[in-house]
Amino acid sequence: MTGGLLLMKSLVEKDLKVRYKRSFLGFLWFLLKPLFSMVVYTIVFTKIIRFGGAIEHFSLFLLTGLLPWNFFAASLSASAKTLLDNQKLIRSIYFPRVALPISSVIANAVHMLMAMVVLEGLLIAFGHIPGISIITLPIAIVLLAAMTSGFAMMISVGNVYYRDVSQFLEVILLAWFYASPVIYPLGAGLIPARMEAVIKFNPVAGAMEIFHSTMYYGTWPELWAWISLVAWTAVILVAGLLIFKRMEPSVVKEL
Amino acid sequence: MRKGLIQFSDVCLDYRLYRDRSVSIMETLMNVFGRGTSRDWFRALDHASFQISPGESVALVGSNGAGKSTTLKLLAGIYSPTSGKVRTSGRIASLLDLGVGFHPELTGAENVFLNGALLGFDQKRMVELIPGIAEFSMLERFMDTPVKYYSSGMFMRLGFALATSVNPDILLVDEVLAVGDAVFQAKCYDRIFGFRESGKTIVFVSHDPEAVRRLCTRAIWLDSGRVRMDGPVDDVLGTYLDANAGRLQNTAASATPREWGNREVFFSRVTLTDGNGVPARTFRQGDTLKVNTLIETREGREVKNIILGFSLHRPDGETVLASNNLENGESLLTISGKGEASISITPEIIEPGNFLLSISLTGNDTDYHWQDHFYPVSLLGTRQIPPLRMSSLTIAGGLIEWA
Repeated sequence: MTGGLLLMKSLVEKDLKVRYKRSFLGFLWFLLKPLFSMVVYTIVFTKIIRFGGAIEHFSLFLLTGLLPWNFFAASLSASAKTLLDNQKLIRSIYFPRVALPISSVIANAVHMLMAMVVLEGLLIAFGHIPGISIITLPIAIVLLAAMTSGFAMMISVGNVYYRDVSQFLEVILLAWFYASPVIYPLGAGLIPARMEAVIKFNPVAGAMEIFHSTMYYGTWPELWAWISLVAWTAVILVAGLLIFKRMEPSVVKEL
Repeated sequence: MRKGLIQFSDVCLDYRLYRDRSVSIMETLMNVFGRGTSRDWFRALDHASFQISPGESVALVGSNGAGKSTTLKLLAGIYSPTSGKVRTSGRIASLLDLGVGFHPELTGAENVFLNGALLGFDQKRMVELIPGIAEFSMLERFMDTPVKYYSSGMFMRLGFALATSVNPDILLVDEVLAVGDAVFQAKCYDRIFGFRESGKTIVFVSHDPEAVRRLCTRAIWLDSGRVRMDGPVDDVLGTYLDANAGRLQNTAASATPREWGNREVFFSRVTLTDGNGVPARTFRQGDTLKVNTLIETREGREVKNIILGFSLHRPDGETVLASNNLENGESLLTISGKGEASISITPEIIEPGNFLLSISLTGNDTDYHWQDHFYPVSLLGTRQIPPLRMSSLTIAGGLIEWA
């Protein structure tokens, strides 16, 4: 195994071990959190606002979107702290520091994957048998993780210079959540057409669409979703790597 | 390039200095639109060049801020030079700060694996190294204990054993070496001397001229980021110490323990403990160093307005920290016969290493009792510039009736 991969693996293992060292329910929290929010959203959108009623098993639809979204949001929040939390380490030995934001994304991805296995079981139990299109899902997961890593690199560097970044991020994520097709479907006439066109430019819209269609509907995702996901991933990942590489020497002195 | 070679050619390194460090976007905007900039550059290394051949043991000497630590960090690859070139060949073990990569919740063994990965070793290789690490650090029974339950000495022992277990070609040693108890310190020095014997390159930073003379054959004197002198250790150290003799009134010779004063009031018992009253000589960031004294007066007389003071010195005698109850705004002591008094210091450890603690009892123009450079203590922590500040100090005194 090459050095970089080994380092990444060790950091991910550490992340997972440390996070649940004193926690009774352990990784289940990663499943419980979306389950709780699912219950809240289900009540809000079927009993109060009555818009989810149009979708069968709305709770399962929600969960299909909430898992990847929670992965995305949790990874970005974690990445804001990753360099600061490890500043002593960074200042004492040399290692490829880009491994820090990436490994925190991967650790979150591991949680998402475990939770998705449980979700898939639920979906099948309620008659949402996946189609052949499910084979494209791993590709979408890898792309989403790569894009998330790109964002994570930028945020980790930015937060070293300005602590406002992590605060700002919380606000942005809240707006971003509602601007992404996580809790509502696109193309079902629930959203004004002009709005939908704008939402499709959202970097995570493609991934959400693919999760919903492959896992919940069992259909092939629409082409725009793939184009959007691939293009955004390429742009964000490259930008993240460039910014990280460019800023790394001064970040180390800044910490 | 031969393993163990170091080339430092025309290296500059600039730090950004903040007069008022902008930590929020708002402040930056205000600075941008305000008058002038609050930023400045500090040149830590200024066109420094030298070459170290494989197998050489070289000391970096110089006063604080001369660029010694910066040079080590450049060699370790932690910093990249602003201009110029740093080239090293072979595996580097840096003893700049021991055990920093350790996560408190993970066990000793888990931390060894994680750190091994940071150094580029896979699990299989680390499994082979673990018995040796456990044995050297004398922690065989504690490898499966989370390191948060380790004492500071155990922590540093594991850090040292791990950092030196990887068979480096180049060893970078900062003052941290001075860790743990005397037995372990001797073990550390043995291992470092062993490296020297087996032809490894060693770069050593220390304020202790004796340690430098013992370990190194060559010294490089850094002054304001420039190489001021480079040559055999005795020549460089001699010139350096002479040049600083004026500034450092207490040079190595006078940093030896000395007791003096008229003893009208005197320390009859002194113990060093941590904040919980447990005897200690090694302190970490956040620990409280408590000096507990029993003070007596000659023939049980009552003496008023006694000033109880302390100072902390580097091994070369330079004072880094000093204060007393008068300066600290606390009431002066009155002792009649016998009394107890304590000094609690919580130093902000910016320069880890070995220090000598002096304590004194003085009055108005009278020296009652001085114990200069009497108590060696080790402070562990992360090295920063500038060194040592005080984060809190209380000097409290009580009165015990003369029986």
